[in-house]
Amino acid sequence: MKLSPFTKFLLSLSQISRWNYEVWDAGKTVFSSGSKRSKIHVSEDMRKLSTKIISNGIFQHALSQKNYELYGIPIKNGEKVLGSLLAYAPIRSKASRAKDIYGPKRGHARQMEKFLASLVGLIEDKWSSEQEVEEITEELTQNLEDINLYSNVTTRIKTLRFSSTMLKDLAEQLLGAIHSEMVFTKLPDRLEYDMLLNKKDVGEKISHPNAFSDALINAIPKKTSSLKENYFLVTDSRMMPGYAALHSETFRFLAVRIQHKDIFYGWLGLVSFNLKEIFRRSELKLMSTVAEQLALVFANTDMYADLESFAINVVKSFVQAIETKDKYTRGHSERVNRYAMLVAARLNLNEKERRILNWASLLHDVGKIGIPETILNKPGSLTDEEYSIIKAHPEKGCNILKPLEQLSSSLPGILHHHERYDGQGYPHGLRGEDIPLLARIIAVADTFDAITSDRAYRPGKTVKEAIEIIEKVAGSQLTPDLVEVFKEAIKEDTSLAQKGLQVLAA
Amino acid sequence: MRNNKKVVIIDDEAHIRRVIEIKLKKHGYQVMTAKNGKEGLNLIKTQKPDVVISDIMMPEMDGKALCEETNVLKKDQPFLTIIMTCRISADEESWISNMQDTLFMEKPFSPNKLVEYINHYFGGSYD
Repeated sequence: MKLSPFTKFLLSLSQISRWNYEVWDAGKTVFSSGSKRSKIHVSEDMRKLSTKIISNGIFQHALSQKNYELYGIPIKNGEKVLGSLLAYAPIRSKASRAKDIYGPKRGHARQMEKFLASLVGLIEDKWSSEQEVEEITEELTQNLEDINLYSNVTTRIKTLRFSSTMLKDLAEQLLGAIHSEMVFTKLPDRLEYDMLLNKKDVGEKISHPNAFSDALINAIPKKTSSLKENYFLVTDSRMMPGYAALHSETFRFLAVRIQHKDIFYGWLGLVSFNLKEIFRRSELKLMSTVAEQLALVFANTDMYADLESFAINVVKSFVQAIETKDKYTRGHSERVNRYAMLVAARLNLNEKERRILNWASLLHDVGKIGIPETILNKPGSLTDEEYSIIKAHPEKGCNILKPLEQLSSSLPGILHHHERYDGQGYPHGLRGEDIPLLARIIAVADTFDAITSDRAYRPGKTVKEAIEIIEKVAGSQLTPDLVEVFKEAIKEDTSLAQKGLQVLAA
Repeated sequence: MRNNKKVVIIDDEAHIRRVIEIKLKKHGYQVMTAKNGKEGLNLIKTQKPDVVISDIMMPEMDGKALCEETNVLKKDQPFLTIIMTCRISADEESWISNMQDTLFMEKPFSPNKLVEYINHYFGGSYD
C-alpha cells in the first residue's frame, strides 16, 4: 500500500484533534499517527477490529477495556479489501464512559463512518488515478513502440525492389516490438522470401521449425469467421482443436494473410509460449498493416515484372519485324540476347546489370533499320562506301534510342558492340577493358551467331567450328576471359545442343 | 532491481517524459524530469546525473544550447547524453558528434530500445 501523500495529512490531523489514525493491512500496522504509549493501550483491540473489518468488508467500531473508542473502515481497490483505516481516541470522561458502556452513541458512530469513508475515499481515488496513469503510460509506451515500428516498416517497405534481407530485418523488429518468440512468413509462390526467425531460447523447444510453422498454417480451419478480416488467432493451443497436438507446451499463435485485393500471397505468423501475455488488439492491427504492406510490395513487384516483360516482348516483336526483311539475320537479335544473358548468369551480374544487358543485346542491331536491303543481302564483297554505311549502325541505333530515357544505360552496350579487344574496331577504336563489359559480352555473342548463321555468300558453320574460330580471335577481336565463359555458358542453350553441341562435348 | 544511477529527462512533451520516467523507474533508475533546457541544466548541476536524455526543440533553452553548456560541465562531472530528435539534418549530426559522450536516437523512438541501451551502457546485458 502506497500511503506517502496521506501520512503527513493524517499526522497533522491527529495533532489538532484527540483522534489518532492507523492503517493496517492483513496482519500488521502500516502507518500509525499515535505515540508509542497510546499504541500499547490499544494495539490488541486494533488488531481484532482490523481483522473484523477486513473479513467483513464494512465499517466497524468497538470500545477497548483501556478507555478508548475505536472506529474503522476497509480500504479497497475495486472490490478487493486491501486493509483498514482505523481511528481511535480516549473516551472523554468516566461519566460518558459509564453512559456508553454498550458502545458509542449510534449518532456518533454514523458521523465517524461518514468521516472515515470520505478519508478512505481520498486514498482510494488517489490510488485508482495513479493506477490509471500507470495503465495509460503503459499503453502510451506500447503506442510509441508501435509508431517506431511503423516508421521503420514503412521506410523499409516503400522501396520497390524488396529483398529477403529486408524481410528478415522487418521480422526482427516485429519480434522486438510484439511479445512473441517466433515469426515467420509462408509464401508458397515466392520461396525465396520465406523466412523464419526464432528467439534464442525457443530454438530448443522446436526441433523442426519449418515443419511446425507449416503445421500451424495447415491447421487453420477454413471456416473461421476472423478469416473474413484476414487473420486467425489461437489464444491458447489447448483450447483450439487441431493445435493442442502440435506442441507439448501450450502456445499462442497469430497469423495474418498477406493479400492484396483478391490475390493471396501467403501468411505472416507469430508464435509465443508465454501465456502470461496476450496478442493485443494493436498488435493485431500492426501485423495486419505489415502484411498489407508486404502484399502491396509483392503486387508492385509483380506489376513491375509484368510491365517489363510486356515491354521486352513488344520490342522482340518489332526487332523480329525488322529482321524479316533480311533472311540471313532472322532471329539473330533474339539469339544474341539469349547467349548474352547466359553469359551474364555465369558472371553473376546483378539484377540491374542484367536488365541493362537484356535491352542492349536485344537492340544492338536496331541501327541496321536504315541500311538498304541491297547492302545487307549483297552476295559479293562490299564497296568501301557500302562498308561505311554498315559501320554506322551502332551509332544510328544509339540515336534512334536516345529519346528513351529508360534505355540510356543500355546505349554504351549498343554503341560499342563492334569495338575490338585490340583497339581495331569501331566506332571509337576502344581497347581492352576500356570497352564497356556489356558491349564486350554482346560482341562475343554477336560474333558467334554471325559465324553459325548462313550468309548470302557462305553457309553457316557448325557450333564446333564457330567455337574454334572465336577461340582463335580471343585476344585480338574478343575478350579472352569472356570467350572462355561463353564456351561454358552456351552448353546450357538447348536449341544449340540440338544443332550439334554434343560434338563439342564429345 | 534498484540501482543508484540517476537519469534526467528533458522534454517539453509530458507524455514522452512520463513514458521514459516510468520505464526507467521500473528498471530501478532514479529519475528526474524537466520541461526545458533551463530547468534541465539546474537539475544537472544540482543532481549530478549519470545519464541525460534530452529533446532538441524546446522552449526557454533548446537541446543544442543545453549540450554546449553541459559539455563544459562534463570535464569535472562526466555523464552520457542521449539526444532524441526527429530525423536529423547533416548540420545537426555534426554538432552532436562534436559533443563529448553524446549520441542521438531518432524519434519516433522505441522506449524499450532506449532502456536497453542505457542498461547496456552501465554494463548490463541486452535482454
